[in-house]
Amino acid sequence: MTHSPQPVTITSSWVRIASVEALQGERPVIPVTAFGQALVLFRDEEGELGLIGRYCPHRGADLCYGRHENNGLRCPFHGWHFDRSGQCTEQPAEPEDSKMYKMIRLPSFTVVERDGAIYAQDAGALPAAT
Amino acid sequence: MISQQLNDLITRIGPDTAAGAVHRKYWQPAALTDELPDAVAGEPPMLPVNLLGERLVLIRDAAGALSLATREAAADEPPAHHPARADIKLVAGGPTYPVVEKNGICFAYLGGGDAPAFPNFDCFRAPESHVFAFKGLWQCNWLQALEIGIDPGHASFLHRFLQDEDPSDGYGKQFRDKAANTDMPITQVLREYPRPEIKVEETDFGLKITALRHMDGDLTHVRVTNQIFPSAICIPMSREMIITQWHVPIDDENCYWYTMFTSFQNPVDKAVMRAQRLKEHSLPTYAPLKNRANNYHYDPAEQKSLTYTGMGLDINVHDQWAVEGMGPIQDRTREHLGRGDAAIIRYRRMLRKAIKELETGQAERLPMQDRQATSQLVGPLSNDAITGSEDWLAASLAADQERRSAAPWDAHI
Ligand code: FES
Ligand SMILES: [Fe+2]
Repeated sequence: MTHSPQPVTITSSWVRIASVEALQGERPVIPVTAFGQALVLFRDEEGELGLIGRYCPHRGADLCYGRHENNGLRCPFHGWHFDRSGQCTEQPAEPEDSKMYKMIRLPSFTVVERDGAIYAQDAGALPAAT
Repeated sequence: MISQQLNDLITRIGPDTAAGAVHRKYWQPAALTDELPDAVAGEPPMLPVNLLGERLVLIRDAAGALSLATREAAADEPPAHHPARADIKLVAGGPTYPVVEKNGICFAYLGGGDAPAFPNFDCFRAPESHVFAFKGLWQCNWLQALEIGIDPGHASFLHRFLQDEDPSDGYGKQFRDKAANTDMPITQVLREYPRPEIKVEETDFGLKITALRHMDGDLTHVRVTNQIFPSAICIPMSREMIITQWHVPIDDENCYWYTMFTSFQNPVDKAVMRAQRLKEHSLPTYAPLKNRANNYHYDPAEQKSLTYTGMGLDINVHDQWAVEGMGPIQDRTREHLGRGDAAIIRYRRMLRKAIKELETGQAERLPMQDRQATSQLVGPLSNDAITGSEDWLAASLAADQERRSAAPWDAHI
């Protein structure tokens, strides 16, 4: 969802959302507002970028304070975990047999890095807002 | 997920709202007794009070009687505004409300007509020596503040300590004790068993919420907490103390928590408990020193090694971050409740039912409106127990009985 395999030309449909530098600290997680939405931008353990909804789809906690672990972000409230595509991958407080996490996905946006900046695109093919 | 319309209905509490009318049928904490200033030069003590969207003043008259009166306020006053005595102007002919002081908290009734009785709960019937009261400001709607208190699962994550403290250093703090009759600190039980089975039952006062953590060695950890309608909870704090906590609306986007810490054993060391909490708050608004403006002192290194949030060891700060971070009023059109949210779902159903009953002129059907029956309500049971038996209910009752029968005041249920 982040680095496009094709060379990307930055045209007007891309929005500059951050400098690459802004993600260079110990914990590469920052709040971003773009496309009229509150979002969180982070770099996962594979080095890929994710730009996903800022508020946890469970009960709305602020993922900017999320635990940066397991190749994604984990909400500190009840431990729901999200990957860079916004997909929920774990709900560790729900019963063992629950498959609810498969149905949960945050809005996410395509992101590229170019010349020290990070750009995002409102791709049109967005997952349904949750 | 609920509609915006329903979210508005269950969160907004101003004078002409449906949920506001429900709150007004109950005694609401309006101030700590500690806050009331002494009389100055023969003038009666006055304390600004901001409650349920109304701008009020708590007054103690020459005979010692308390009441609330309406004060003049500019439309752009800050929510927890605290004008100086000289700047308080009463609204002539404005509404006034009755106030009753109970073990450190001044409760007000804003509902008109006859006020309901106080239930005979432990926090009210324990002697003054065994109850300590405090309050704090949270900048969010009261309902999200209440909902975190009826959510037994969050403690396994939000309050997780990656290492355990020595329980003997835990006086006056939540979750620091050993789990009933074991050597395991509660923090360890919560961390190792994060998927509680949750049972919710309606009671005369609200909800009884039982969280069962099935542990190794055929042991079960049984934690019983309660929702007291409309905005309070009653939960265990340590083997010695329970917490009764109200989430009282200031307006739609701000609330105070008021807590009564009640001891079943020794008199409460109020000096220690007050000092622990005054260190974390600024008066006169009781605003927490860790807050959104300073990122709750969030420390990513601590989040990696010591706490789940990176916001220190005070669990009040974790709760405050969780509820304030949702925004002034949680957008419930985007939420996805799970099985862990069973008590929240049940509570909202009770609130909607109460709203409907009030709208159809059946106020007497709301919980705790019958004076006779309410004055006889005792408890509620709130404790932690660990049992090897399948009859966890009996084990929970027995653990509670043990502490009650040893109490120096009449704690029988
Ligand atoms: S609010 Fe994020 S996991 Fe519950
Ligand atoms: Fe909590």
